[in-house]
Amino acid sequence: MKYEHILETNELNLYYGESQALKKVSIQVPDRKVTALIGPSGCGKSTLIRCFNRMNDLVNGCRIEGKVRYHGQDIYAPGADPVEIRRMIGMVFQKPNPFPKSIFENVAYGPRVHGINDRKKLDGIVEKSLRDAALWDEVKDRLHESAMGLSGGQQQRLCIARTLAVEPEVILMDEPCSALDPIATSKIEVLIDELKKNYCVVIVTHNMQQASRVSDYTGFMYLGELIEFGETSQIFEHPSLELTENYITGRFG
Amino acid sequence: MSEKFHMELEDTKAHILSMAIMAEGMLRDSMIALETYDISLAAAVKERKNLLSERNDALEEEVYQLIARYQPVAKDMRAIACALKVISATERIGRYGKDIANVVIKTPENNNYTDLVNGLSLPHMSELVLSMIHDAIQAYDTGDISLIAHHSERDDRVDALRHTIFRDGITYMMEDPRTITRCTNYLMVARYLERSADHSCKIAEKVHYMVTGERIEIR
Repeated sequence: MKYEHILETNELNLYYGESQALKKVSIQVPDRKVTALIGPSGCGKSTLIRCFNRMNDLVNGCRIEGKVRYHGQDIYAPGADPVEIRRMIGMVFQKPNPFPKSIFENVAYGPRVHGINDRKKLDGIVEKSLRDAALWDEVKDRLHESAMGLSGGQQQRLCIARTLAVEPEVILMDEPCSALDPIATSKIEVLIDELKKNYCVVIVTHNMQQASRVSDYTGFMYLGELIEFGETSQIFEHPSLELTENYITGRFG
Repeated sequence: MSEKFHMELEDTKAHILSMAIMAEGMLRDSMIALETYDISLAAAVKERKNLLSERNDALEEEVYQLIARYQPVAKDMRAIACALKVISATERIGRYGKDIANVVIKTPENNNYTDLVNGLSLPHMSELVLSMIHDAIQAYDTGDISLIAHHSERDDRVDALRHTIFRDGITYMMEDPRTITRCTNYLMVARYLERSADHSCKIAEKVHYMVTGERIEIR
């Protein structure tokens, strides 16, 4: 069953030790759309997307209050399996981080971990994932060469392919283009537009122009709060709140 | 967006206001020239037309540069959209001033018919139109949209007046065919004034958008 909102938080508070990084954040992330989170450094946008696949579990002293629901199920409930959650909700990071293995092995790694060893099946998954990540044509003749020899932009698309290989429903992207040049950035942006046909994409970005170009919905965060959330066209043409307007027009931040 | 952008945007706005005031002055002076049959004032209005065109082109370029270099959003983007409209609308208003100046220059002096301008209520119409233009420009300058709150009704009055002037003109021409050249010229003046009021409405629409983010139509 498809939910209109695939991910949602309700009154989510998050603390790193004594300091509160998220304050009563309630957001509903629509499926098969691109949602961008913007806001000044330290506003909690990365912290928020890390809650969506429990990446914050790995941070010492981090605790949360409130709910994070995926398909209506609380992902922090006692019985929830973080490994399965991270398979369904994949993540791409700021700096491309391919494994020091071949291109093929990078993409096949996830499916192998999930028990797929049939070579033909793996070949199919690798090709499909690389095609979906718009990288296949550039690497099909050197699948068994080291991934470290790819350019930064190619490495980032490889990381996206690696995420797609385990068939997630949601792709979280934390500043996926901030280490890339404008041409590589533009390729990732075109790719994001393609990905939303089949996936829910949540992207954190410092680049407001990028948010306005790639996203359907935009959330503006400030000091741990979600200040305004709405359609990107509305946020960038006439935001409802002055704080949002002042941020996106560069009057602070 | 940087502080530098906002400083440049303020500078551009000041330049646009200066152009708008120049255009408003051209229309005002052309009407004074018409009412007083002041050929030299009419000629001076005509001369300003080239400067107006130059300022139009230069300011458009200035705004395009702001877009290209800063890609403004939200209220900055709306200010840019409004700026472009104020430039093009005021340029048109200034050109109607030049057209009216041409009418003054081309209409031969004839003391028997000096009352026609008043008889056709052209001074009254120009007062209404100039006040609409003035308020639209003031609203752009200050962001005070109460100044343009009644632009639609004011435009209706101008349209009605133009219609009256048209009918009156026909009456004059039927009564005395020697007035035909003069009357047709004055009917064109009424037309130019009415179009100028329309342009002030276009400015008002964009000022409203700039301030509120809401697009309205004033007709």
